[in-house]
Amino acid sequence: MRPLLLLTVANIKSFTRDRAALFWTLAFPLIFVLLFGSIFTGGSSERSIGFADLDGTPASGQLKGAFAALWNLKIVDGTEDELLASMKKGDVVAVIIVPEGYSQTVAAKAGPANLTVYTDPSQSGADATTRQLVGFVLSAVNQAVAGVPPAVEPSFKPIQTNDLTFISYLVPSILGMSLMQVGIFASVPLVADRQKLILKRLQATPLRRWQLVGSNVLMRLLIAIVQTAIIVGVGSALYHVQVAGSWLLIGGLILLGSLAFIALGYVIASFAKTEDAANGMTSVVQFPLMFLSGTFFPIDAMPDALKTVARALPLTYLGDGLRQVMVDGTPFSPLWVCFAVLAVWLVACFGIAARFFKWQ
Amino acid sequence: MSIPTAAAAEPVIRVAGLHKAYGETRAVDGVSFEVQAGTIFGLLGPNGAGKTTTVEVLEGLREPDRGEVRVLGVDAVRDPDRLKPRIGVSLQTAALYPKLTVVEVLDLFRGFYHLGGRSTDELISLMDLGEKRTTRTQNLSGGQRQRLSVALALVNDPELVFLDEPTTGMDPAARRALWDVVLGLRSAGRTVLLTTHYLEEAEVLCDRVAIMDHGHILEEGTVEELVSRRFKERAVRFDTIDGLPEERLARMPGVASVKHEDGDTLLYTRDVAGTIGAVLDAAEGLGVEPANLGVRRATLEDVFLDLTGRALRD
Ligand SMILES: Nc1ncnc2c1ncn2[C@@H]1O[C@H](COP(=O)(O)OP(=O)(O)O)[C@@H](O)[C@H]1O
Ligand SMILES: [Mg+2]
Repeated sequence: MRPLLLLTVANIKSFTRDRAALFWTLAFPLIFVLLFGSIFTGGSSERSIGFADLDGTPASGQLKGAFAALWNLKIVDGTEDELLASMKKGDVVAVIIVPEGYSQTVAAKAGPANLTVYTDPSQSGADATTRQLVGFVLSAVNQAVAGVPPAVEPSFKPIQTNDLTFISYLVPSILGMSLMQVGIFASVPLVADRQKLILKRLQATPLRRWQLVGSNVLMRLLIAIVQTAIIVGVGSALYHVQVAGSWLLIGGLILLGSLAFIALGYVIASFAKTEDAANGMTSVVQFPLMFLSGTFFPIDAMPDALKTVARALPLTYLGDGLRQVMVDGTPFSPLWVCFAVLAVWLVACFGIAARFFKWQ
Repeated sequence: MSIPTAAAAEPVIRVAGLHKAYGETRAVDGVSFEVQAGTIFGLLGPNGAGKTTTVEVLEGLREPDRGEVRVLGVDAVRDPDRLKPRIGVSLQTAALYPKLTVVEVLDLFRGFYHLGGRSTDELISLMDLGEKRTTRTQNLSGGQRQRLSVALALVNDPELVFLDEPTTGMDPAARRALWDVVLGLRSAGRTVLLTTHYLEEAEVLCDRVAIMDHGHILEEGTVEELVSRRFKERAVRFDTIDGLPEERLARMPGVASVKHEDGDTLLYTRDVAGTIGAVLDAAEGLGVEPANLGVRRATLEDVFLDLTGRALRD
């Protein structure tokens, strides 16, 4: 273990003394989070809900009051069509339609009156919040109508999921992208060391190959951890992004994803002869991964051919898995599929690298 | 080829029938030699002779096409891992982490071996790198890098040290200092295999040398043996005189062979006085004065020239 750790320390020193590498690895994800954060969190953090009152009675007015009394909630009036249009624009997160005859149905206790609530399930955070709010208000209304005094009275406090915005989805996406970069860019210093004959010189010492590879992987994982801390830290400090799921699962995804991408970096290093070639090849590999993996563009909106490609890419599953665990997002695939696909990529890349990687 | 008196002890290196080709290039083409413990052995030859290829096979870094390679009693091809803790290697091109300092690189490499060996400070003073302790290796001069590379070859105080062109890029003072280090290794009972294309380096350092060219060993032995095997004669040399035909030179008294090298004419002769007289006569007949006329004992340079028909340093 000692040689492995010493080599890891040496690698970290080399890395931190390479200003350009340091900047790109640590500042790049930061810039991404800040950039997208400022784009997608522009405007008020107030949640707006459209309210179309087709009944127009005091009872429906009361219902509106009950919603308006909730924290942070702004009620926007309008017709059903107007409100649905502004929901599509993102101005309101949900639309509640109170049908004509609402007050009569309630007063006559003639079965439940039916409220229509439009939500967007793909914005699962907003969707869940809306369901909660509506459920909450209606249970209060139901109680009041039934004349049963409430046994338990909640106090109104903001729940954290309230602040959930698009940035919540971006944080895991950017994290996945950064982990991908940390992994595949393992190729560049590796090829540089081979080109400078450092790998050959190491081969003349008792250092074993697994120790060399191990130190490389260890260093990349440390960078991955630092990046995760930066991205999640900035996301939560500036944009109040919360991590919903278990850190164990997140850690598992980060570990498996990083390993798969490091292995992909070794594959690149197997075919790149010079440092410049490694840089070029890695960039060429990174762009389709970035843009076809649902990080910036939803996969569902892609043409079929690209969809097929996207379904094969490892970043699709790392990003999807991280989004699922971190924000309870709508899954592209069940979580185990994410793990499985990443594991397949890891094994395949490892096999290719083991076959083609040259130490000299 | 083995020396009867040393037959009891297994040689530190035994190479037999070594072949290694790169496509059409036969880099090493049937090389055999032995190196005895506690000696300095020199592989001598021009660029492309196959020295590096040979040495790196012995270090367990390259796989030969065929041939037997035993180093320190270990099969260097099949079992290089058993060899590595016991040897020290300086590659022809110093391979160093550019962003690490001299001390950091030495400490790192020391960490690859079991405790013991030489201390970083000892190596730094041995290789005269004291002023550069905290300099990053990317900022070292060529000679300093080479010295650090040799220091790295010594971190584990190895039984056998391979130095591939260790003095290339060094100024004369540094070269002489390195010679002292190599001679010091022999005094301490270590074995050294070095390659060089500096003949005087081989003459100063090596107990035995092998002259290599085009993947072959042309001649092997002590420097004395190589010279006297070929040259009973001494060399009379002068700046080549135009109009003095080869046949005339060859017919001069005592002359065994005639060579031309870089505008010099060399006459290997058993009769120095007679040869010089004949040269002066011939020159006078042409109405010229022979320039830089001199006599010297034959050297490895002459051996090389005689073997290959060209000078080692082009
Ligand atoms: N890795 C290699 N690939 C292809 N050709 C090589 C390789 N290494 C050496 N050679 C060729 O083999 C020959 C011997 O090279 P080398 O052993 O480096 O000679 P030397 O060390 O005496 O200069 C040269 O012609 C060289 O071009
Ligand atoms: Mg060489």
